[in-house]
Amino acid sequence: MTTTLETVWHNRIFYLFVLPFAVLTILFGVWPIVLSIMVSFTASATALRPNPTYVGFANYAAIFADPAFLASLLRTFLYTAVAVVVNIGFAFGMAVLIDSPLLRRGGLLLRLALFLPVVTPDVAGYVVWRWLYDRSFGAINALFDTVGLPAFAGLTTGPTAMISLLIAELWHHAGFYMLIFHANLAIRDRALEEAAHVDGATAWQRWRYVILPQLKPAFIINTVYALIQFLKTFTVVVVMTKGGPNEATNFVSYYAYQLFDQGRYGEATAMASVLFLIVIGVSLTIYRLGDREAAR
Amino acid sequence: MRFLKRIAAAAGIVMAGALPSAAQTLTVWHDLGDNGLKWFEAMSAEFAKQRPGVTVKSLSYPTDQWFGRVISALNTDSAPDLIYNNYERVIRIQDQTGKVSDLKPVLGKVTDKAFLTDDDLKVATYKDRQIIIPIQRVQMGFGVRKSWLDKVGETFPETWEDAKRVAGKFRDNDPDGNGKADTFGFALEAAKPRDLIHILDLFSFGTGLRHTLIDPAGNITIDEPRHAAVLEEFLKTYTSYKFVAPDTINHSFTEMYQVIEGGRGGMFRVGDWNVKKWDGEKVLNGDFVVGKWPKFAADETNYVVIGGMRGIAIPENAPNKALAQDFAQFMLSKAAQQASLDNIGAAVRGDLDVAALSPRSQYFAKAEAPLIAYDFPEAVHPFYPELEAAFHKKLLSGIAKPPADWKPFIAETAREMRELAAKLKAK
Amino acid sequence: MSADAQMTRISRPLQIAAYAFAALVGLAFLYPYWWMLVSAFRSTRAIMDDPLRLLPETLDLSIFTEIASLGGVSLARYIANSLAITTASTVLSVVVTALGAYALTRKPQLPGFTALRYGFLVTIMYPYMLLVIPVYLVMFKLGLLGSYAGIVLFLALGPIQFFLFEQFFRKIPGEVIEAAIIDGANEAQILFRIVLPMASSITVTVALITFLLNWAQWFPVLVISKTPDTYTLPVALLSMNTELGANFQGIMALAVITTLPVAGLFLLAQKRVMAGMASGAVKG
Repeated sequence: MTTTLETVWHNRIFYLFVLPFAVLTILFGVWPIVLSIMVSFTASATALRPNPTYVGFANYAAIFADPAFLASLLRTFLYTAVAVVVNIGFAFGMAVLIDSPLLRRGGLLLRLALFLPVVTPDVAGYVVWRWLYDRSFGAINALFDTVGLPAFAGLTTGPTAMISLLIAELWHHAGFYMLIFHANLAIRDRALEEAAHVDGATAWQRWRYVILPQLKPAFIINTVYALIQFLKTFTVVVVMTKGGPNEATNFVSYYAYQLFDQGRYGEATAMASVLFLIVIGVSLTIYRLGDREAAR
Repeated sequence: MRFLKRIAAAAGIVMAGALPSAAQTLTVWHDLGDNGLKWFEAMSAEFAKQRPGVTVKSLSYPTDQWFGRVISALNTDSAPDLIYNNYERVIRIQDQTGKVSDLKPVLGKVTDKAFLTDDDLKVATYKDRQIIIPIQRVQMGFGVRKSWLDKVGETFPETWEDAKRVAGKFRDNDPDGNGKADTFGFALEAAKPRDLIHILDLFSFGTGLRHTLIDPAGNITIDEPRHAAVLEEFLKTYTSYKFVAPDTINHSFTEMYQVIEGGRGGMFRVGDWNVKKWDGEKVLNGDFVVGKWPKFAADETNYVVIGGMRGIAIPENAPNKALAQDFAQFMLSKAAQQASLDNIGAAVRGDLDVAALSPRSQYFAKAEAPLIAYDFPEAVHPFYPELEAAFHKKLLSGIAKPPADWKPFIAETAREMRELAAKLKAK
Repeated sequence: MSADAQMTRISRPLQIAAYAFAALVGLAFLYPYWWMLVSAFRSTRAIMDDPLRLLPETLDLSIFTEIASLGGVSLARYIANSLAITTASTVLSVVVTALGAYALTRKPQLPGFTALRYGFLVTIMYPYMLLVIPVYLVMFKLGLLGSYAGIVLFLALGPIQFFLFEQFFRKIPGEVIEAAIIDGANEAQILFRIVLPMASSITVTVALITFLLNWAQWFPVLVISKTPDTYTLPVALLSMNTELGANFQGIMALAVITTLPVAGLFLLAQKRVMAGMASGAVKG
């Protein structure tokens, strides 16, 4: 019976291999998060001092009593839910189109057009979108004007700001989800489909019973990725709306970030911890649900 | 042989005396951009004449980053030697870190400082600590496009009624002559709470009111008759009058400048720091007139508003504290102040050479118009930043969803502010 | 393919509609790039007056001299920073992640390995923008604040690199390894003589993807930098607000410079990049 120490020594070469990875993960991944969580238990004014005052869960109580935070949380959930559905739906639709025989040539071009924004630096892309939306100088409204459509309020009213952010983020992210769907579609078992077709199944039935079940893993993984991505929506708000207009796009990550400026470190990190738990919780749930169904 | 040795020794001593002490660098952090960098370079060159071997290196950060960096730096003992910004921002740094040094003794050693008024020093003091040495007074006036005025047949608006009429004409009569209805009466900003500050200050102080929200005794003033009337006009300018671009609710100063410099706004706030850029050929090419903000009643006086004070501060944990203090004193000298005027367009000294400046810059520099100073409530009430943030949030919500009648809105706001002030005072 | 074609009745109108729709979506997705490129050559006034114009009035290159220096740092410096930091972090990332993923997949049961793997996965879920103060503190304590080394080290970890390598190493047949062990090879030899040569293709893919992703990273660079000297292009674009504020043309020119290199690299290597990104999430 070997002890842990003997196992480690016997496999020391593997520990050597994993060492740089472990060091980086701990130093720049785990340690900052631990620090952050620790700060969430301190009084903000003392957070950066060598001997901060610990106040237990006071910061957490404070943020849940803050109507602005609760509103922000609600907003974040709403945006995330819509964004995930729209992105996955759009990405799936595009993947199906590209894969279908309807688009024999040009599939590659469309894939490139959809994926290019994924590798474009998000800052640059959003700066352009910001100006496309501008009510007075933007290309979108200029186009609407030419065609005779009413002006699009873009980033100037609450609901339209959310829509505008959604579109810009879709532009940046959907290509990735599309790629995953497309890859999974490409490796699906066509023999099954042919068999179903021979058996007299309609297109709809083929989709429902043969193709979609094979895509379940893709749907799950995309949903998890999308949830993690959109719950943390940040860069697009920084570049395009800075939380406005009138707090309409002030999502949790941005709200907490603003608190840093005001020196309310304890509350900001408490919010971060809450968001962190939500992300973990939601991702795990979806993953488990998916696994359970797959094991049916 | 011994003679040579003696000469060598003597030469050595002479050289050691003549050599400057090991070259030193002072670091300054500000948010004034390229103009600020040039200003500090000019001062560095001048300062080196008194202190050979010393260089002053400045770094400019966008304002919101400046805060984060200064707070972190001061709290982790990696502070720069000097920081430069508006007094209210240094106050916040002091609140967050407690590490801004008291410059009373430093200023005490300066003999040539008669031009600093009591008001200036009051602003520079927070909780009995002089946190900055005032270096630039921030002046704000009213700017109007000259060619547009000519086109619509108007003169520079003196009263608010004039201004409204002109704003309407700017909106409707195509003053830039390009055949499109793409011009606005005013170019303003309303994206975040603090964006409203300068505009509200101009509306209020510009017409002679002494407070925008709260007076030194702690009374809320916004529902007093004159104040309420001005506030209502202020809110209507953003909303029902349709004098501003619909996007204004998303505009901070960057976007506001884009509207102005893009030739879409006819009337706007002009700060002494804006003139230099807007005089530029590729920008407005000097096609604007600077004057006092319009007055609300014909019997009032209107003013150019001193909206703030910028000054130099020294962190307690500055690496080269003594040298930094020397430089801070130097910044009040004629040479340094002249460089300030030339590069930034603002100063505190009155005896500087303004001949080389444009007429619009001179308007500020010569201080010919009556000046009124902001009341600097941050220096009086420690709870002011939170109160002001709530006040502005309330105003912004009104701008986003304008009520049919502003009077109840203003009354309600006043009541909320009183409650909040009482709560914050009690803390 | 023809089976598909049989199963879906392809009517001409449907096909035309499909192509039209695809073209519309594709062009809509590409329009922002065109707008960015064209705007870099038009004056701010021109952009504001006529935003829809498809071609610039003149090819005014003077804007590039105008933005040659931003915030006291030369544009060339920003470009050099982007190149150096992205390349260095890519190399480091590939090496570190490959080794780590190999060890974790070869011997997942070793003490501490499961914890490490979960620790890594969990760190991705934290809202990164709120790590400002902790990252600042950590860098400060390590003495890496404001240094290139700090930035490169921080950027060396990424989820997709890990998933891709993990997936690849998992697929290596156990027999290959066993055969090597029987032949008397030690672990180092197995890794370097047998596994890594097999991984040359995936390594190139991971390197490409990492480069593309790291080039766009702005938040860590902003937090760790002490002065604009170490800013990369995306950070310059975000931070030079006060400088470029109303210089719209300048902003677009900088955006073009920031985007063009990675767009170009992607288009050259698109097959690999897209295949790699997709395989990172094919059920595995």
